[in-house]
Amino acid sequence: MRLLIIIPAYNEEQSLAGLLSEIRSLREPDTEIETIVVDDGSADRTTDVARANGARVLRLCRNLGIGGAVQSGLRLARRENFDFAVQVDGDGQHPPGELKHLLALARRDPAPDLVIGSRFLTKPDPTSFRSTITRRVGIWWLKVLLRLTRLKVTDPTSGFRLYGKRALRLFDANYPYDFPEPEALAVARAARLSIAEASVKMRERQGGTSSIGPFAAVYYMLKVTLAVLLTYVRAPRKIPEGSDAASD
Amino acid sequence: MPQVTDEYLIFALACAAIALVNLRLLFRERVTLQGSMSYFAFLLVLGLMGVFPYQTAVLARRLGFTLMSNFLFCTAIAALAILHLRSLVTISRIQLRSITLTQELAILQEKLDRLEGASVTPAVRDRRA
Repeated sequence: MRLLIIIPAYNEEQSLAGLLSEIRSLREPDTEIETIVVDDGSADRTTDVARANGARVLRLCRNLGIGGAVQSGLRLARRENFDFAVQVDGDGQHPPGELKHLLALARRDPAPDLVIGSRFLTKPDPTSFRSTITRRVGIWWLKVLLRLTRLKVTDPTSGFRLYGKRALRLFDANYPYDFPEPEALAVARAARLSIAEASVKMRERQGGTSSIGPFAAVYYMLKVTLAVLLTYVRAPRKIPEGSDAASD
Repeated sequence: MPQVTDEYLIFALACAAIALVNLRLLFRERVTLQGSMSYFAFLLVLGLMGVFPYQTAVLARRLGFTLMSNFLFCTAIAALAILHLRSLVTISRIQLRSITLTQELAILQEKLDRLEGASVTPAVRDRRA
């Protein structure tokens, strides 16, 4: 089984070395793991740090935002015929050691098309990292909103996700560009992908700063609400046909 | 309906001036002719309204406007809204293509880097390092 770990990174030189070192120490049975860092137009040494730590690098010549960066990695995963791709944030919030929980679900038969690493599936460990109250309110609202699409997820904003082949085909053609996580779930639901959640622990960012400030948070909620509703009323999306190794 | 005077010619002149600015931009290749066509059409319609105010007043009255200025404003706002919508569609399409191009470029560059890395002999690699 071939697995591509996609790390979208924007000015993450501080946290990247530690994260890549953790990924290198991962051992999964019968799994060939490759790592690609998608440098989203960073102004710092993100690319150099990634290369120095043995990762492949997709260097975007301008900043596309998290959605564009993740889609670049998903596109590559599909073209190179990977069985799975996992998105791991470049700020170090997603411990690579937790990947085994996502993979355990992906190895089931039948395997879900999309596995979400959820912080809220089980009762939170009081010692583990918790989001701010504002974020938790936002997450609650998104959960309610996604229920409209008959999708029950506990952590709609989690970027710690594993994509199977059908999900790779879908998101290669169609992935939201800004604040993509909840909208991507609505898109996946509209395309009738099977979605599962695995309980994971997350930690605080290991470096850099969040791109979502107070004003952006208001825009985020409005935009995502509208996007999810639009996806719900739109006709169901079709997963593109064709070979998985599209053009390589 | 108040009497329409030749003051509306100023309105037509303003349209002509804007059309000239657009033409200048065209000559300097700052805008495309294809993109400017709808804008020229918009200016032509408004300009004709200024040149033929009496006919425009008759039309406005038939459409239920009591003031001709209201008719002009409504026509201009509606036309601008349509132009804006058209620009929005064009910009969105270009934005999506630009994102795809950026991604494709990065994927190709990575592939090229790997091919170059594979073709370079260890001695050359050491020298570069």
